[in-house]
Amino acid sequence: MDKRLLPLLPMVTKPGRYTNHEVNAQHKDWSEVDVKVALAFPDIYDVGMGHLGFKILYALINGRKDALAERVYAPWVDLQARMEENEIPLTALESGLALTAFDLVGFTLQYELSYSNILKMLDLAQIPRRSSERNASQPLIMAGGPSAFNVEPLADFIDFVVLGEGEEVIHEILDVVKNGKAEGVRKETLLERLALMDGVYVPDLYKPVYDDGGKFVALEPHRPGVPMQIEKRVIRDFNSLPYPEEFVVPYVEVIHDRVMAEIMRGCTRGCRYCQAGMIYRPVRERDPNILKKQISRLVESTGYEEISLSSLSSGDYGQISPLVRDLIAEYQGCGVSISLPSMRLDSFGMELAQEIQRVRKTGLTFAPEAGTQRLRNVINKNVSDHDLKEVVQGAFAAGWSRIKLYFMIGLPTETEEDLEGIVDLAYKVLAWGKEFRSARRRPEVTISVASFVPKAHTPFQWVAQDSMDVLRSKQSFLKERLRHPAIHFSYPKVEESFLEAVFARGDRRLAAVLERAVDLGCQFDSWTECFRFDLWVQAFSDSGIDPHVYAERTRDLFEPLPWGHLSAGIDFDFLRREWKQAQGGIPTLDCRWDDCSKCGVCPNLQVANAIVKEKSVE
Amino acid sequence: MSNVIRFQFSRGSEVRFLSHLDLVRTMERAIRRAGLPMAYSEGFTPRPIMSYGYALPVGILSEAEYGDFTFAVDLDPEEFVRCYNQHLPKGLEVLWAERLPEKTPTLMGEINAASWRLFLPQTSGGPEQIKARWEWLQGVDSFVVKRDTKKGSREIDIRPFLFDVYEIAPSSTGTVFDCLCGLGNEANLRMEELGDLLGFDHLEATITRTGQFKKVGNHYFPPLGNRGCK
Repeated sequence: MDKRLLPLLPMVTKPGRYTNHEVNAQHKDWSEVDVKVALAFPDIYDVGMGHLGFKILYALINGRKDALAERVYAPWVDLQARMEENEIPLTALESGLALTAFDLVGFTLQYELSYSNILKMLDLAQIPRRSSERNASQPLIMAGGPSAFNVEPLADFIDFVVLGEGEEVIHEILDVVKNGKAEGVRKETLLERLALMDGVYVPDLYKPVYDDGGKFVALEPHRPGVPMQIEKRVIRDFNSLPYPEEFVVPYVEVIHDRVMAEIMRGCTRGCRYCQAGMIYRPVRERDPNILKKQISRLVESTGYEEISLSSLSSGDYGQISPLVRDLIAEYQGCGVSISLPSMRLDSFGMELAQEIQRVRKTGLTFAPEAGTQRLRNVINKNVSDHDLKEVVQGAFAAGWSRIKLYFMIGLPTETEEDLEGIVDLAYKVLAWGKEFRSARRRPEVTISVASFVPKAHTPFQWVAQDSMDVLRSKQSFLKERLRHPAIHFSYPKVEESFLEAVFARGDRRLAAVLERAVDLGCQFDSWTECFRFDLWVQAFSDSGIDPHVYAERTRDLFEPLPWGHLSAGIDFDFLRREWKQAQGGIPTLDCRWDDCSKCGVCPNLQVANAIVKEKSVE
Repeated sequence: MSNVIRFQFSRGSEVRFLSHLDLVRTMERAIRRAGLPMAYSEGFTPRPIMSYGYALPVGILSEAEYGDFTFAVDLDPEEFVRCYNQHLPKGLEVLWAERLPEKTPTLMGEINAASWRLFLPQTSGGPEQIKARWEWLQGVDSFVVKRDTKKGSREIDIRPFLFDVYEIAPSSTGTVFDCLCGLGNEANLRMEELGDLLGFDHLEATITRTGQFKKVGNHYFPPLGNRGCK
């Protein structure tokens, strides 16, 4: 930690976020390494510390003799103000050194509403925002994560972007940077070398072309030899990957504060709204015996009281039941519990849930996403009314009393009937609760309704988002009908979903808007108490850019898209076919268990789904 | 003797900004890392059985925090100190430990006073100022301040909660002094209130809790061993 912060900390909320020396934090000798990397999470410590990707990178980089990695988070607004007042720059936790002292600063792009924080963090670090304004004495700014698959709105600020999984490419990057430093090459040369690596995109080497109407036409490279299309990196042999043996154990409460075992990567369920389900393919399960060893090492090194089995859809892990049972048997005695986030309704074994939640039977969460079977077919969320009924009734009978249901509004082809369907389900669940409950607690239902945001690289990447007015009227439609003491209705602000939609399918022209917004004071946009839509409106108007064109325009199925050169291995032809199927309400099956859906990932990336065989659990 | 070990530990600068809950979580995780044979509570979520003295305010250092750990077996206190210290994070250190006799009152039930050492910056005035203020306070019967609690604000006389101020001296950075104050539910003196009494801003002071005691008349008994009566 930077010692200059110490006198400021008594005056700010949760000062424990800014101190370091947490158990397992790595303090390496700066004089003994060649490449220094700052892993920068564009949100506060409490959020960023839960990010598994950075835990993996932190271990990989610090595992090298010639490199070190330190952590950086956005300070909360109260500390920011005091840092600016006292002219203290943003520093890394471990060494307390300014970000300008590092060779690489890597931002993770987890959600669009964190983009303003990236610029704000660069400002606080006293690093020029635009890559064109940074020279060789400044660190290279890199980025990765799901939103890298449409990084165009950030293209002017990031020196290079990594598409896909980082475990292998990070070593290649460190080598290139290390050699470049040793040779004393210019920044341009270093970036050209990086641009030739698989999975690395250097935005500055390309220029967008727009037509007279302002429509995106193409992205043209202005250096010979740089790739026209950047394919994501993907790990073929998931089981041979190293996994962190230690996690940094925070003192203050953070999200996902537990041992996280990554049981599986990728998901082929094919929900048509879901970007993660498209960009992380193929499915790769980790061997249960390897998992058990990894978990045991982590429990030993962290002392955590909870183990979570993480993946996009943990219930789909083939050997989930034996794995969970073995873990419970092993850890129950010493007060360590097991949790399974992201369980799907249809693959949900009631018995399993009971086993896990032997502890406290408070809330259970399901995500039907849409109110009717018809609309669920459109979005390919293959949960049936029958599944829902069985599982919810079973949950109440087993002693749960609070059920939370996630839905979306504004999905393509949605009608009033689908909204009615959400209302119906809410009351049905409540009625099932009254009929089947075994707990003394009165049954309660929480209905959480998000506004649909069309995302790049999904079958819905061409569709228009509902206007904010339409979304608001849908929200009030639901609100009026969900007035009941045992029903809690919650929904994020439509303005947040709108802004997310703008950036999710944005292009490089949004850079000016982002800069203006940050100048006006926008940051922490995903924090309701900080979100200033009025300032965003002003930023768009000051920059002469109409945000509605980005959010609400239906794209032509064959028009060039600003993210077309960034490939997750998924063929856009597959996405077009999926969009057709969606309009017909025709589901597409999961290629793990049914026919190949010809999404293109396996042939394009030379990979295949890797499922653990039965009875491999020792 | 019971299977309860009472121990004294220090909290250094590295962990000064932890809340009491943060501390409890940190201690619990270190127990698990150390593989100590704790006794666990019954019920759906078995938790190690442990208790502590009064929470140290955020931002303050300490040489005298106390904890009671209940073990599943009879554990040698020295062995416990050696093993636990290896797994505690920087800034937390167990200083000594003893087996607790049966029916010893809990820490919270026993402790009612604490000693503190304060370093004030130059800007808060020199030792003379604190000395003069303390002399003046000794002739004052009551000193009423407003105290904000969860139940709202109320007026309270804090003068009886400051027992003694001593060893007032210049330090390299300003002034240093020690004091004895009430702690706990009955006669608790907050650090900002100590600042009100002696005329300094507690946020500018570097404060260390140097002892916790059971005060009987003018005698101060620490909760561990029988040393250090005043």
